[in-house]
Amino acid sequence: MKKLTQAIILGALGLGAQHVHAATISKSLCVGSLSKTLYGTSTTGKSVTFWGYSDCGGGGMGGMGGGTATVPGPIMEIGVNDTLNISFSPMGMMTMEGAPYNGHTIHLHGADVQTMEDGVPETNGNMVMGDTYTWTPSAGHEGSYMYHCHVHTVKHLEMGMYSAIIVRPKNASGAFLNQLNANTTTAYDYSQNYILSTVDPAYHTASGDSVVFADYNPSYFLMTGKEGKSTAAPAMTLAAAKGKKVAFRLVGLHSTNATFQIKNGSGVAQPFTVYIRDGRTLPTAKTVTSLDLSPGQRADLITTLPTTSSTWYPQITYKKLRANTDGTYPAYATVYGKVTF
Amino acid sequence: MYKSFALIGLTLTLFGVTESAFAATQNFTLYINAGTLPITGNGGATLNVWGYGTTAVPVVPAPQLTVNEGDTVNITVINNHNINHNFIIKNVTTDTSAIAAGASKNYSFTAPAAGSYVYSDTLDSNVNREMGLYGAMIVKPTDGSQTAWIGGPAYDHENVWVVSEMDKPRWNDIAAAGFVVDTATYKPNYFMINGLGGFDAMMDMDTMIMGTLNTKSLVRIVNAGQFSHSLHFHGNHFQVLSINGVRQPTPFEQWDTINVPPMSTAEVLYSINQTGHYPMHVHTAQAEGANGVYLNGAATMIDMQ
Ligand SMILES: [Cu+2]
Ligand SMILES: [Cu+2]
Repeated sequence: MKKLTQAIILGALGLGAQHVHAATISKSLCVGSLSKTLYGTSTTGKSVTFWGYSDCGGGGMGGMGGGTATVPGPIMEIGVNDTLNISFSPMGMMTMEGAPYNGHTIHLHGADVQTMEDGVPETNGNMVMGDTYTWTPSAGHEGSYMYHCHVHTVKHLEMGMYSAIIVRPKNASGAFLNQLNANTTTAYDYSQNYILSTVDPAYHTASGDSVVFADYNPSYFLMTGKEGKSTAAPAMTLAAAKGKKVAFRLVGLHSTNATFQIKNGSGVAQPFTVYIRDGRTLPTAKTVTSLDLSPGQRADLITTLPTTSSTWYPQITYKKLRANTDGTYPAYATVYGKVTF
Repeated sequence: MYKSFALIGLTLTLFGVTESAFAATQNFTLYINAGTLPITGNGGATLNVWGYGTTAVPVVPAPQLTVNEGDTVNITVINNHNINHNFIIKNVTTDTSAIAAGASKNYSFTAPAAGSYVYSDTLDSNVNREMGLYGAMIVKPTDGSQTAWIGGPAYDHENVWVVSEMDKPRWNDIAAAGFVVDTATYKPNYFMINGLGGFDAMMDMDTMIMGTLNTKSLVRIVNAGQFSHSLHFHGNHFQVLSINGVRQPTPFEQWDTINVPPMSTAEVLYSINQTGHYPMHVHTAQAEGANGVYLNGAATMIDMQ
């Protein structure tokens, strides 16, 4: 209904055809359950149940087997001025809490959409048993965003109902450009999405207004859904050519402090340049060797690989929310990625 | 006739320019006492607290001290509680010595650069602060303008958010009963903005961001707790004006989520650029609840009319 209204208004104003290369990207998302075997500091795995979004556009039936749910959910890429239309069908009793936290939504975190598109059930026009969401990012809003359920967020986000939306620049014929924004200085050869998340298994079995949700004790730490507990078993890998540029998109869906670094084989932190934070190009790009990313934040950055072959380890160190007396934050764990070139 | 108006205008301008020469003297008296902080609604409880107040009844957070840049500020702190306390405005005052039970102390200083400051009791390994002895001092520019600082960004509305947490069973209950808190363990179960759980803060006119189209709100965030708090604003991005008193270069960066570490401050400018009703909340799991009850934690509303 709301999409139709917008289309009629745009049509009446003659604006519908203004952006000739603007595409409409339609997605159907559902919810399903899955389990992951996680290890943390233990040598024996523990099976943890998650709820994840699935792409059920292929004729699936609303979560009752539509698509395969994953954590993180499907990563959506859209171009500037494209319109993303999401049709969401959160059916399935296996993936639901009782009232008042029944149902699910999709919050387009950072999109600054109208209230009725925002996926917050406590505000007007947001349905928890199925809804549509639309967003048309403007030029200048390239970068990483996230989407997640906003019903009883303390549980539903923790359950795995999250992923990333990447807004990319396009060329005159509507093809994606391999650069972070419209500026060619942000060109890259490869890109990786590092979605940060943490897991407290107690939150996965508790529900409702439980005192469990008053105390967060994460024991598993993920990078795009995987534990990469050592450089020998990284969560994300990339085989690149030497001398090339690699973009990293950091998406903070964790519930702790976190620091991103890229270290070489000797453990020396390598420089990278942050161009975009929270979907807005920084007035001045920042070249650093370490970047803190707090829950809800995103950053889009580029590093240039050396011209001699080697291996680098981009990594996330998850840290406690409470500082030591010296002002540093005790680390929980480091999760590793790997780039060979 | 016209001439005399012009003369008046000139005189006013002169006063405006040289106002710091006429800086006021601001006197405050704060009393330290034990009291209670009720968190209403589901999951709520009455927390035992210690606090500063302008009367014998302490308030959490402590009274907001609002002064102008260059003012002479005299603060008398009277400790009517039964243990030692102190009073420090971070980055402003330096006397960390204790005020004994029943004693008082005067603190005098010249109001520093316009901005947001946090004051607290720094004794006993954060126990005194956790119990409620914290508040904000706001320093306004001398020219009386609605700007973050002279020559800085202008605003139409202002919010001060003192963000904090309390661990009722392991800290507040223990300290209030006169026992020693095991400070190695801190598992706060109440998360607040301006001493309010979300159910109250989402309706509190002083806490909510409220404005009509094309107005701007200066939001002064003071984290008096021991956890980092990552505040996510729905509805619009904000401009990051200052972090811990450091004014940011222009043009300002635009974020939708800002991390405010313990005992630090941040100032952001939120523009009302559409109409709607949106939440603002801390994005970490447990900070959204009161003893686990969803949305009665560190959350408020943004009402754009
Ligand atoms: Cu949900
Ligand atoms: Cu969010």
